[in-house]
Amino acid sequence: MVGALDDIRVLDLSEPLGHYAGYLLANLGADVVKLEPPHGDDSRLWAPFLPDLDQPESSLQFMLLNVGKRGVTLDIYSETGRKVFLQLLAEFDVLLQSWTPQQMETLGLDQATLRELFPDLINASVTGWGLDGPYASFAYSDMVSLAMAGVMNLSGFEEGPPTQLPDQQGFHCASINLAAGVVAAILVREASGIAQDVEVSMHESLLMAEETAMQSADIRGIDRERTGAAPGLQVIKLPGMGLYSAQDGWVYAMAAGIAGSGFNGLLALMDLLNDSIADDLREEPYASVMAEFSNSAAAFRLMGDPEKMKEVSGVFAQVDELVTDFFRKYPKEKLYVEGQKLRLLIGTINGPQELSESEQLNDRDWFRTINDSGRGRELRYPGPPWQLKATPAVLRHPAPLLGQHNEEIFSAIGLGKSDIMQMSENGVI
Amino acid sequence: MSTQSIRSRPLDGLKVCDATWYGAGPIATRALANLGADVIRIETEKRPDGLRIAQPKPDGEESLNQSGYYNNFNAEKRSITIDLTTERGHELGIELVKWADVFATNMTARAIRQIGMTWENVQEANPGIIGLYEPMQGMTGPHSEFQGFGALLSAICGVNYLAGNENEPPIGVGTNYTDYVINPIHAAVAVMAAVRHKRRTGEGQLIDMSQLESSVSGMAGALFAWDNGQITYERLGNRVAYAAPHGAYLANETGDRPDHWVAIACMTDFQWAALSAVMEQPELADDARFNTLRDRKNNENELDEIVGGWVSRFKAPDAMNKLQSASVPAGMVQKASEVLQDPHLAAREFYAYPEHTEAGKRAYDGPGFRLSETPHEIRGPAPLLGEHTWEICSDVLGMDSGEIGQLMAEQILY
Repeated sequence: MVGALDDIRVLDLSEPLGHYAGYLLANLGADVVKLEPPHGDDSRLWAPFLPDLDQPESSLQFMLLNVGKRGVTLDIYSETGRKVFLQLLAEFDVLLQSWTPQQMETLGLDQATLRELFPDLINASVTGWGLDGPYASFAYSDMVSLAMAGVMNLSGFEEGPPTQLPDQQGFHCASINLAAGVVAAILVREASGIAQDVEVSMHESLLMAEETAMQSADIRGIDRERTGAAPGLQVIKLPGMGLYSAQDGWVYAMAAGIAGSGFNGLLALMDLLNDSIADDLREEPYASVMAEFSNSAAAFRLMGDPEKMKEVSGVFAQVDELVTDFFRKYPKEKLYVEGQKLRLLIGTINGPQELSESEQLNDRDWFRTINDSGRGRELRYPGPPWQLKATPAVLRHPAPLLGQHNEEIFSAIGLGKSDIMQMSENGVI
Repeated sequence: MSTQSIRSRPLDGLKVCDATWYGAGPIATRALANLGADVIRIETEKRPDGLRIAQPKPDGEESLNQSGYYNNFNAEKRSITIDLTTERGHELGIELVKWADVFATNMTARAIRQIGMTWENVQEANPGIIGLYEPMQGMTGPHSEFQGFGALLSAICGVNYLAGNENEPPIGVGTNYTDYVINPIHAAVAVMAAVRHKRRTGEGQLIDMSQLESSVSGMAGALFAWDNGQITYERLGNRVAYAAPHGAYLANETGDRPDHWVAIACMTDFQWAALSAVMEQPELADDARFNTLRDRKNNENELDEIVGGWVSRFKAPDAMNKLQSASVPAGMVQKASEVLQDPHLAAREFYAYPEHTEAGKRAYDGPGFRLSETPHEIRGPAPLLGEHTWEICSDVLGMDSGEIGQLMAEQILY
């Protein structure tokens, strides 16, 4: 069994916002070569670092998002470098790059020029804002994209500042879309012989993550705002919905009847743990109100009926207090596992350590161990985002050391040892 | 547009039997539809997709066809209403499986059993099919039956732990975040990779896509650092290790837009020097407190005060434009209504406004990636519930009108 892209070659010149795309394509079996400037990719200098190892080889972000790729260095802005780059590119099916229109002009490598030089190349561009439009020359960052895409406006406390999403979600959303575009373009090239350009704007790649905010503005003329810990789709806090303290951490529950066993499931969990709060909640005034809103249709309808919401909000608040008292008494894992067995929608707030030790992820052998001899240790990597049963994920190489495969890759395109040495002396590689 | 609308698309001819609902599944098959696939969604009136019930809808509207939440995620699909829990309904569902190249679902294992669409059933009916199964935590393992929505998965997969401020509870990011890009577009990549394998070898396959694994894969930095360096992570609000200043700063509130924030990020010393110049405090670039990234990180509170003080003198668009004209990454924290009017997105014709019989011309999010020759674009609206039942029964399933009418009367088709 081999990867679905096992005969595809990808030259990855992207800045960090495109690294995850190359990672995904490598997971699908493609031969991905990361091309960096001679001083290395920017993210090689980004913390956190692998302990007891020096830069530029110790950045954990660089290692995570470039594992599976081989690596070369080349100054494509130098005359020799540009020539070697074009010679190299002829060997590849796909180019991943994040040049702005101005950089393309400097390099003399706009889309039309590359198309003429390489009619069969899939030229995939990922930038902050896309290649045209009034903001095409704007500088980008992950958070700035989240801000302009309306996603950040929904995150955080109502009164506090809008809050970014974790771990460069703009970069990841852009990269996933870039990988999708590349695979679609590969399908087209094989079916019809047409090679084409792929274009991703990080800004645009995030817009679906506004959830219903865009439609709410379009249909109702209402802007959704930040709602703190309450699920943002709610107009008021429904009992059993959202974040609660457990005895030893946090749980997140969705017991207000959208799906699963709903509020009755929560009562069943209380019964299972012999907690008398269930008996209180089965009394009036709580019982009838909760009975009415413990199915999904009623709960959704209620969310669209602010008047009715106001009417029941007092009872809701009292119920929520009892629910809060209940959750606080029990360990989070018990609430999660026993609750889910009762089809209650509940989860624990997991940090890196919990995920690392996750029974579910480990039972599925999700993590991968790779011997990184260049860095002198075994490393534990997260698994792929999908399990393709006939074409399983591939992990061929540790993340490349700076210029690790220069000789191997440049000699394969016919450069002699002395050419390579000279490029090295001139700072081209 | 008229010439564009006849251009071929990458997945023309691909047939998808779509038994997804809510967010992560439908958005994946929506991408396939906007790439040209013929996507047939199986729905029921008895148990409709929750998003057909959900807001936003026009005031007082109860129709199952008016939800912007549903419609945005289902552009260009066809809808057939079949009650798969009946014997004849299930047979018809299996006929659609036989017709399809791809079967897709994000239902829980329990719901899949209820409608008789387990991988065993689907593969038996159509041995060459690609099966996308996207339950919350995968098809095997002790938590394979567990269920939830994106907001719950965001708790489990680490979004909540990693987002927000250190001394505040892990509140998450205000949405069912993982449902909208991470999981569905990962799924679309996986399906297209499987399509390639099928075209090369004739072999279909099972895609066991755990939304948990997919989500963690898309934000694995802290996990990887923990596993390989025992490095712990604290929530840092809007700060990051690789840039300073890096934050959201409140703009001048006296205008017609109070509560307008500007996000600013300086990854490099060059950007910091440019920011200092824009703030008309060029001496800051040489200030020992702020010389290098490490200096700026060490004195970040003072740094934020200086930048915040400058931003507070301007309206947000002015601050953004001043900074961007000096190549400093900066952008307004836009509300959705402002994103809809964003001149850049307008110039790039991002939003589509297909005409929908009941909902009219409403905005649909454009594609997350663009292709130059075989476009990825929205050519039609979401379907009404059961809008295509008759035509699919007749054209795809080859049923005669007598039987279709009969099954409609029996509420097997509805």
